[in-house]
Amino acid sequence: MQVAEASAVTGVDHFIENFLIAVDFQEAIEITPETEIAGLAEWDSLAALGVIVMFDMEYGKTITGNDLKASRTIADLFALAA
Amino acid sequence: MAYAILRNVRYAGLASCVPGESVSNLDCPPEQRAERERLVRNIGIEHRRVCAPGVCFSDLAQRSAETLLDKLGWDRSEVDAVVVVTQSSDYAYPGTAVLMQDRLGLPQSCLAFDINLGCSGYPYGLFAVGSMVSAGHIRKALLLVGDKSTNTDSKDMGFVVLFSDAGTATALEYDESAPPMHFDMHSDGSGYKAIYCPAGGNRMPLEKHHLDRVVGPDGVMRRAVDIVLDGPAILNFSITRVPPAVNALLEAAGVQAEGVDYFLFHQANRMINETIRKKLRLPVEKVPSTLLDFGNTSSASIPLTMTMHTRERLQGAGGKALLSGFGVGLSWSSCIMDVRGAVMPALVEY
Repeated sequence: MQVAEASAVTGVDHFIENFLIAVDFQEAIEITPETEIAGLAEWDSLAALGVIVMFDMEYGKTITGNDLKASRTIADLFALAA
Repeated sequence: MAYAILRNVRYAGLASCVPGESVSNLDCPPEQRAERERLVRNIGIEHRRVCAPGVCFSDLAQRSAETLLDKLGWDRSEVDAVVVVTQSSDYAYPGTAVLMQDRLGLPQSCLAFDINLGCSGYPYGLFAVGSMVSAGHIRKALLLVGDKSTNTDSKDMGFVVLFSDAGTATALEYDESAPPMHFDMHSDGSGYKAIYCPAGGNRMPLEKHHLDRVVGPDGVMRRAVDIVLDGPAILNFSITRVPPAVNALLEAAGVQAEGVDYFLFHQANRMINETIRKKLRLPVEKVPSTLLDFGNTSSASIPLTMTMHTRERLQGAGGKALLSGFGVGLSWSSCIMDVRGAVMPALVEY
């Protein structure tokens, strides 16, 4: 169980690293699984496209614009990558 | 129909023409500079060519065709067909190809018609014209491809920063010694709303209020006569449909990727094109791009890229090219051909 929890933490940390590369924000920001996506100052359509590419290339998943809109937090988004 | 092969068709030549006026996506107030640099970094488009007022796609295509005919030394009376692929015709009707028959001084025996396709249009046009040539009915043909996609009136910055204008002319000729051309073509009309213009056709005839700007559900201000782009849908379509189609064509044609000198993709934007390239595991040097200097030139982007980056190589010993276009429709098409010996003059500016 502890191993599983550690793996999940590593997974979400890596996901956040990928997310920050994908959105290419100009200002460095701190992101946690609880961070609300729509509240990110630089979140825009370009960032959304970057995240869609990230899902395809890094996780082999196709997500839609509606999937992104329905994801309130980074954790919600991470769940789509599972 | 997915796969087809055409024989007896020689890719005789290609010329491309763009407006002389270049605009920069980095031309903005200083406070917007950092945001624009991020945009350019991600879409890969810095400069775009924009037609001067009153200049149409057909003017660019005509200049290309005149340049090409002169370089080829073709007598205009010998041209049996002129086919235009565009979504920016001079008039709602007649089609542009018929106008080009007259403006280019082609004979009245010349067959002329338009094909309404956008970014997938170059391989489609090659197939349509190539099929007529292959059958022996047409000996010499011109294929005019491109669009005036820019709209200086648009307030949709997601649209404005992408598009650029270009017109191209390709010559095909009946030749029994020509290497075969391989094609793979697809359509998915269920996705038409990913790229479409709602008003001005017969489904939604133009009314005065269609010229009013309103903010849509996506937060973008447009008129009903402006093009709607669904970025996520276009992206997903492109990166999931194109790589398997390219692989399927290579397999059907019995061609190894290593044996192809250039992979010429429609120039959509950097995110899309780089994702496709990486999924196909293609080396950068085999996938030339004109995005930085010419943006997305719709159906002209493949031939324009051939003119800008590959014309010397493709005319020489290594002439095997794989072309792949994808976009409005939704529609996607690919082609493998050998263009050795083709006449390819340098870029023409209008």
